[in-house]
Amino acid sequence: MPQEALRGGQVTGQINKMLKKISLVIIVFLSLGVLMAGGVLAADSTDPTVCCEQTKSGLFCQDVPQSQCKPSARQLPTSCASTSFCKAGTCYDSNEGTCMDNTPQLVCNANQGIWSEQSPAQCGLGCCILGDQAAFVTLVRCKKLSAGLGLNTNYNTGIKSEVECVLAATSQEKGACVFDFEFERTCKMTTREECGGQSASGTEGEFFSGKLCSAEELATNCGPTRNTICMPGKDEVYFVDSCGNPANIYDASKLTDKDYWGNIKSKLESCSPNSENGNSANCGNCNYLLGSYCRQTSSETGKATYGTNICADLNCKNTQDGGSYRHGESWCVFNDEGTTGKGVDSVGSRFFKHICVNGQEVLEQCADFRQEECLQDKIVTAIGDFSQAACRVNRWQDCTAQTDKPDCENSDRRDCLWKGNTQLFVQTAGAAASTPTNGACLPMNPPGLKFWSGADALGVCAQGNAKCIVTFEKGLFGGEKCKDNCQCLEDTWTKQRSDVCINLGDCGPNVNWIGEAGYKPGYNQSIKKA
Amino acid sequence: MRDLGKRGQLAIFVIIALVIVVGIVLFFFFRGNVTNVFAGAFSPNAFLKDCATKGINPDLERLAKQGGYSNPEAFKLFNGEKHTYLCYTSENFKTCVVQQPMIKAHFEQELNSIVKSKADQCMRDLIEEYKKRGYGASVTGVNSKTSFVPGNVLVSFNNSLTVTKEASETFPGFEVKVESNMYDLIFIAQSIVDYESKFGNSATELYMQYYPNLKIEKIKLSDGTTIYKLSNVITKEEFDFASRSLAWGAGYGTDK
Repeated sequence: MPQEALRGGQVTGQINKMLKKISLVIIVFLSLGVLMAGGVLAADSTDPTVCCEQTKSGLFCQDVPQSQCKPSARQLPTSCASTSFCKAGTCYDSNEGTCMDNTPQLVCNANQGIWSEQSPAQCGLGCCILGDQAAFVTLVRCKKLSAGLGLNTNYNTGIKSEVECVLAATSQEKGACVFDFEFERTCKMTTREECGGQSASGTEGEFFSGKLCSAEELATNCGPTRNTICMPGKDEVYFVDSCGNPANIYDASKLTDKDYWGNIKSKLESCSPNSENGNSANCGNCNYLLGSYCRQTSSETGKATYGTNICADLNCKNTQDGGSYRHGESWCVFNDEGTTGKGVDSVGSRFFKHICVNGQEVLEQCADFRQEECLQDKIVTAIGDFSQAACRVNRWQDCTAQTDKPDCENSDRRDCLWKGNTQLFVQTAGAAASTPTNGACLPMNPPGLKFWSGADALGVCAQGNAKCIVTFEKGLFGGEKCKDNCQCLEDTWTKQRSDVCINLGDCGPNVNWIGEAGYKPGYNQSIKKA
Repeated sequence: MRDLGKRGQLAIFVIIALVIVVGIVLFFFFRGNVTNVFAGAFSPNAFLKDCATKGINPDLERLAKQGGYSNPEAFKLFNGEKHTYLCYTSENFKTCVVQQPMIKAHFEQELNSIVKSKADQCMRDLIEEYKKRGYGASVTGVNSKTSFVPGNVLVSFNNSLTVTKEASETFPGFEVKVESNMYDLIFIAQSIVDYESKFGNSATELYMQYYPNLKIEKIKLSDGTTIYKLSNVITKEEFDFASRSLAWGAGYGTDK
């Protein structure tokens, strides 16, 4: 490493003094980046990596240095994928009917699971109809869920997607199932299949398609009430009859409407079907996608005219950035000092994704060290734009290897930007004239580095090192005149080089995420006579 | 005028009567065990449910915040709390290796080992309660088991209780349901672990869109660990765990 270290502002003055002493050639060497502790590059060859059955910290099947492995655990000097005991496969839980991939054999066996290298037939998915709900699960899981709900197993392996499965459940014929119970004519809202006497719940009766149990013509003991309920898996608030059956969607104006209490009405036939009806006292036609869902009334939601449930407003107002967002929307936030996407990000800065969930603003960090960046876009819908954000890998790694602008700015491959009139690496005497370089390719969002330890930071920052050979010509009668690369003696060159350093990562004279500069210059500059 | 006076007197009597009735009700209400006062007959199920709920809930909450483990070996300490690694890889750029494929079964096992003595005590307390009430009560062994079912934690008392006074009655066993949505949170956690082991990073919004009462907080730490906090926005129940999958590390990610 060079011995002399000069701050940017002092460089020119020092150089001018030295120029008087230089006779023919000087080398300006700018070592940008971090001063690393010696010896960190040396690899630890005495501690080989092994596949360890269990580490000292209790983790199973990890490729770790031998010293981290439990002495009593099995270990082999190979990767875990090549061992029999740690080979990853599918672990099948025969009790619950669930399958878990990427599970080591020994972990699966230790938990009484059934391990197999390939996914077994039991892990095949099918459509499980659970009343008017559906689940795309394994057969055993379907049996378990059906039993829990007191239903017969209705499993269809012919349905191959979750969407088809949901459609199959919603398209079932629903209506009132009338039957006698304890010498009374009573009723239950169900599907035709459930009513047909096959039900585990014991209902066996006459099915009236499209009718509600409170319909007068059915002459059951179920009648209208002023109460409402929230139904599992349904967005809306429903009226409930005196037998506890759900009726139509809550609409305060239909409290005494015989037709509304007699026939099943669709969502579109109910009150304000195209509105979210958030915190509406009179309409329970909630719409989860628009940002409302059936909840119990509270001080936040206000009261409903009838019943104790309401369409709670799930949208977020006055978020951190001052905006309002709908439930499910996500957006990017960068609150740290500095900029993003311009090749200069402050040390320790990070991207954040914010999500609006149930009226709350939840934040999610993108990976630290700016290894992920946040991307945001919007979906245009009939009711306005819907913002969507995602943390995506920052593809900065091969930026400096690109030598032309089109390759550099190919956003399909990498996240880099082209910086004109800038050069990376060594500049030799006469190089400027013979091989003109029109720019350098640098990360759009430079990565964060562990500049306080390890060798990685040194490797990244070293790409900003530059050596400039300045040639002088002696005059016939004494004195000398700068001939080649004279710009390297100017302040602007030093500034340009330190900027390149900042563009490479957490190198050089950058500021941190709260805007404070480092305690050291961030680079060394030395001038030597060749 | 006299008629009005009589009416006023009657109104005062009615008000006094109401005050007395309300006073008696409040007396019994604050004295506790209001159910028994109104129900008249003693309900062993209600007694066991009350006892089991008090016994289970604190342990359930504590274990759930540690991924279903009472003393996790492999964990990430975050904000003073241990978050068990349910999926982990020590390497960068690789998806994690599942550390616990059967979260529910393991959680049940841990919960059982902790609350079994409390649940068994509930059964012994029930016998004592019967004896206090002048009944003879005996039980064939004391054995309870706790399991998660949709919407509840099910405590099964698998012992035959015989209660005698003038006649005798035998209860073959009791099943007490303690309201809890932990079952759903566990299976969502299992799905997230599966997702992390396959793809490295789960899409939490998808889960929240599917489950309207679910809130997922995902905290990414600088060592590549992700802390997951799954909670039910209605019941406020929470299940937390950690995962380290597809970590990038700083720079080229070659430093350990």
